[in-house]
Amino acid sequence: MLNLLTRAIMMSTPLLLGALAEVYAERTGMMICAIEGIFLIGAWGGFVGAYLSGSLALGLLAAVAAGIAMALVYAFVTVTLRQQQVVTGTALNILAVGVCAFFQRVLFGVPTTPLQIDTLPKLPVPLLSRIPLLGEIFFQQNILTYLAYILIPISIFVLYKTSLGLTIRSTGENPVAVDVAGINVNRVRFLTVLAAGGFGGLAGSFYTVGYLGMFTTSIIGGRGWIAFAICFLGNWSPKGAVLGTLAFGLADAISVYFRTGTTVFPTELIIALPYILTIVLTIFRSNFQVPAKLGVPYSKEN
Amino acid sequence: MRKKVNVLLYNTGAVAVGLLISACLLLFMDVNPAEVCAQTLSKIVTDKYNLGEVLVKATPLIFTSLAFAFTYKANLFNIGAQGQFLMGSIVAVSLSLALQDTVPTALLLLLVLVGSFAAGAAVGGLIGAAKAKFSANEFLVSMMSTYVVTNFMDYLLRTSLQETKAEYMQTDAISAGAYLPNILPGTRVHLGFLLAVAAAVLVWVLLSKTSLGFQIRAVGRNPFSAELGGIRASRIYIIAFLISGGLAGLAGLTEINGVQHMLLRDFNASIGSYGIGIAILANGNPIGCIFASILFGFLNIMGTTMGRLPGLSIPASIIELIEGIVMICVIISYALRGYMENRSEKQRMRKAGV
Repeated sequence: MLNLLTRAIMMSTPLLLGALAEVYAERTGMMICAIEGIFLIGAWGGFVGAYLSGSLALGLLAAVAAGIAMALVYAFVTVTLRQQQVVTGTALNILAVGVCAFFQRVLFGVPTTPLQIDTLPKLPVPLLSRIPLLGEIFFQQNILTYLAYILIPISIFVLYKTSLGLTIRSTGENPVAVDVAGINVNRVRFLTVLAAGGFGGLAGSFYTVGYLGMFTTSIIGGRGWIAFAICFLGNWSPKGAVLGTLAFGLADAISVYFRTGTTVFPTELIIALPYILTIVLTIFRSNFQVPAKLGVPYSKEN
Repeated sequence: MRKKVNVLLYNTGAVAVGLLISACLLLFMDVNPAEVCAQTLSKIVTDKYNLGEVLVKATPLIFTSLAFAFTYKANLFNIGAQGQFLMGSIVAVSLSLALQDTVPTALLLLLVLVGSFAAGAAVGGLIGAAKAKFSANEFLVSMMSTYVVTNFMDYLLRTSLQETKAEYMQTDAISAGAYLPNILPGTRVHLGFLLAVAAAVLVWVLLSKTSLGFQIRAVGRNPFSAELGGIRASRIYIIAFLISGGLAGLAGLTEINGVQHMLLRDFNASIGSYGIGIAILANGNPIGCIFASILFGFLNIMGTTMGRLPGLSIPASIIELIEGIVMICVIISYALRGYMENRSEKQRMRKAGV
């Protein structure tokens, strides 16, 4: 059980990073529907960077760069050219699979043994890791998990207590007012999407650099979309994203726990529960705070 | 009319540019793109089976793209076509397995047709109802519904629908009496392709020639003025999602009874998202969906064929690369067309001295 919770925290790391990125972007009115592709290209970028340079740090850097590159295309088409976000995201998610598989082959050919890289080492935090129970669950993780811990308070602070956060929130609620205040709406959206792409890429690299040490195009397997869902489930707030991540993480851990042996117990129900919860909350929660201009391109002319 | 020609022109141009870019990427593999393309094309064109495969791949895509295009006309997003398709598949395989040896083929296929449409429509209708009654975000609900249905299917595949050998997570194969009849000997093209084309024509008639279609388009343009005109938008939301879901469900019939003959995990995992891309390529036009689906079916076969060319080791996932690039080019061409039309409109107004 203890192992299970440690694993749940570990597997929640990329989801939280992705969900926080999505929260920020959606607060400016931009759904990042390409998040699945950004995760994938981040995973690949991290793998290639680490493999070619032999340095995990450079791998993580490459993952961030890859995520930003994909977000750049997404932002150009959706913000600058004002095209449909859902559709652009769909296209980019498909493109990401092709790009990764194709250039993986270009770079490495068909290797006889699967290419491997070292993974991020576990870094037990001095003192804290020796707390019984909690220490093992929370403080014997890798550096990306600690980064996620630190990002929780920072993201709450920036979004609610700084003028940057105010700008971001207003851009999704009332872009006209932001425009009148002399702030370039589309620049705010563009830059937020780029930043979110960087964090999304980092989140994706968790699967290669932080966990498996290898790359396949099915490595993300819909987890980008889970981060997307967590953003909705968490009511577009960083705090909610943390709770949402725990809900999805726990459901995942519990279903693994029950899967030992052949059981008729519907573990699928537990995996589906967070999705059902998201649907139910979407329908019945009266204070569901969808950013007013979510998914709506902004143009001064209308 | 001029606008329609314009759309066609820009789309064709965008597809051509996309294909050209993809061909250039082949240079990275140290091969001659022109040679590889010629080789691939001749392999497809000279082989009847391969040509047939294009239509086989296009068939479910026509349904899922119609599903997206249909709600798109009402300015709604049904991105849960994957879930509705899987629900249709579950019903198709269950009905076929239960009735295959007792009911004559024609009647069985008719029942499966109705059943898979109803299954998809049920899932779609629930989403439409959530939108109509609680003004829930249909984009989100439809997206999440796919995961719920997928897990439901996985559960069934592990329990009541699992094969008699109980080895893999898949159903028993349906017997030949439940197959959709082949319509082109020497290929795998089945009756489902004609069904898909008929569905597209029906959808076109429904949308552009009937009063229901008018109401759907009116709500899509502006739900408030539609309400003023006596159209109940909430009713239209439900109807649009019912039909859209049903169309996606029908892909279950063609894939189960026409191609795979059984249901298994990760069944056609990406036809839902391809449907979205195809519907956009077709600019939401039902007839356009047929041709865009065939184009994607063709690209699909081209990728597989290229991947099998001896001595080159081009990965088969070059399909995704080509299709992704083509889609992005088409989306950008829409922006370009919008800009150009806007500009010529402004020029006309200036000339007229307004």
